[in-house]
Amino acid sequence: MSDAKEHIEPARGRWIPFAAAFVAIAGLLDAVYLTIKHYTAEPVPCSLIEGCETVLTSAYAEFAGIPTAAYGALAYFVAFSLAILAAYGNRLTWKLFGVHVVIMVLVTCWLLYLQAYVINAFCQFCLISALTTFLLFILFIISKVTRSSV
Amino acid sequence: MAKQEKKSSGTPVAIIVGVLVLVVFGGFLFYRSSSTPSRGNTNVASNGTPIPRPTINPNAPAGATPPTSVGAPNAAVTVEEFADFQCGSCAASYPVLKDLIRTYSGNPNFRFVFRNFPLQMHDKAYDAAVAAEAAGLQNPAKVWLMHEQLFTNQQTWAVNPNYRELWNEYAQKIGLDVERFKADMSGMVAKSRVDQDLARGRAIGISSTPTVIVNGRMIPYTEVTAAGMRRIVDTELQAAAAPQQQTAPANR
Repeated sequence: MSDAKEHIEPARGRWIPFAAAFVAIAGLLDAVYLTIKHYTAEPVPCSLIEGCETVLTSAYAEFAGIPTAAYGALAYFVAFSLAILAAYGNRLTWKLFGVHVVIMVLVTCWLLYLQAYVINAFCQFCLISALTTFLLFILFIISKVTRSSV
Repeated sequence: MAKQEKKSSGTPVAIIVGVLVLVVFGGFLFYRSSSTPSRGNTNVASNGTPIPRPTINPNAPAGATPPTSVGAPNAAVTVEEFADFQCGSCAASYPVLKDLIRTYSGNPNFRFVFRNFPLQMHDKAYDAAVAAEAAGLQNPAKVWLMHEQLFTNQQTWAVNPNYRELWNEYAQKIGLDVERFKADMSGMVAKSRVDQDLARGRAIGISSTPTVIVNGRMIPYTEVTAAGMRRIVDTELQAAAAPQQQTAPANR
């Protein structure tokens, strides 16, 4: 009986980790873009409308000499890998995905706080990254609420 | 059955590796395409001819008159800078433009004009521009010394709530009458000069500071380096001298 359930439900709930993998890819591309911009950016003048330049050239654009966006790219790649493994039936990786995404959400909240109250500027690409992280978290919550057998 | 499971477990790994390869390869290509050429000789084409740059609106208001300037008004080469005293990039460019003035100030064909363009996002920038103009009202030669004080001490006064007291100290340090400096800061003349510079900058379409204009053409910020500016000014000076050299034999 339980074998039959295992056999049927994964197919029904697999859309969630697949969707998570898709969102993680979007976040990964965004983070890779920001990482490359970090390394190729020329010095920027003060603009009438502050935004990405201010954020990406702030003291918080790097941590331990590595671009903050590079950590994001790594985090999204890990999230993508865990989601794909979960989509193909590995339940443990979905639990790990949940822990990983909760950490990502906490870091994202801290980065949003820095943009709003410390740097006083928002970067649209950083906001896209925040959105994708929250989407990953929402997908994980949906899987728990609906008790999807991911 | 075992073969099917093996195939199934291999699929996600293949997807993960495939995505990793695609992202690394795509990222590398994007990095190569995004890497801009060096900040070197970007103002001159390979054949040595100057590359055209966007020209400014010739009908823009004149700005503060007379402007804060060095050199003769009819000089062949005019470098005009729009700057904000609270802008970090302007402070970073200050030594470059100071060096330019020092290098060419003896050349009768060179003129440097400073324009105030305080950005709204910088809460003390407008007052700082007024402070510089107040110094200039008292003694035109002191305006440059006040510029130096404001740019080199930017990190100090920009975050100090008592910044006006610091400016009074700067005024005293460069030999100004502090009471008159305060009065000029409160008066309308200095503010009016800043407003006139702002009106000129807006008409030209200044969107960031520092913006440097050489003979009516905007210079990209990436070229505002000591070597870059000297190269641009030298090119303009040569271009200005060329017609004279051509006409000189004909006059003989």
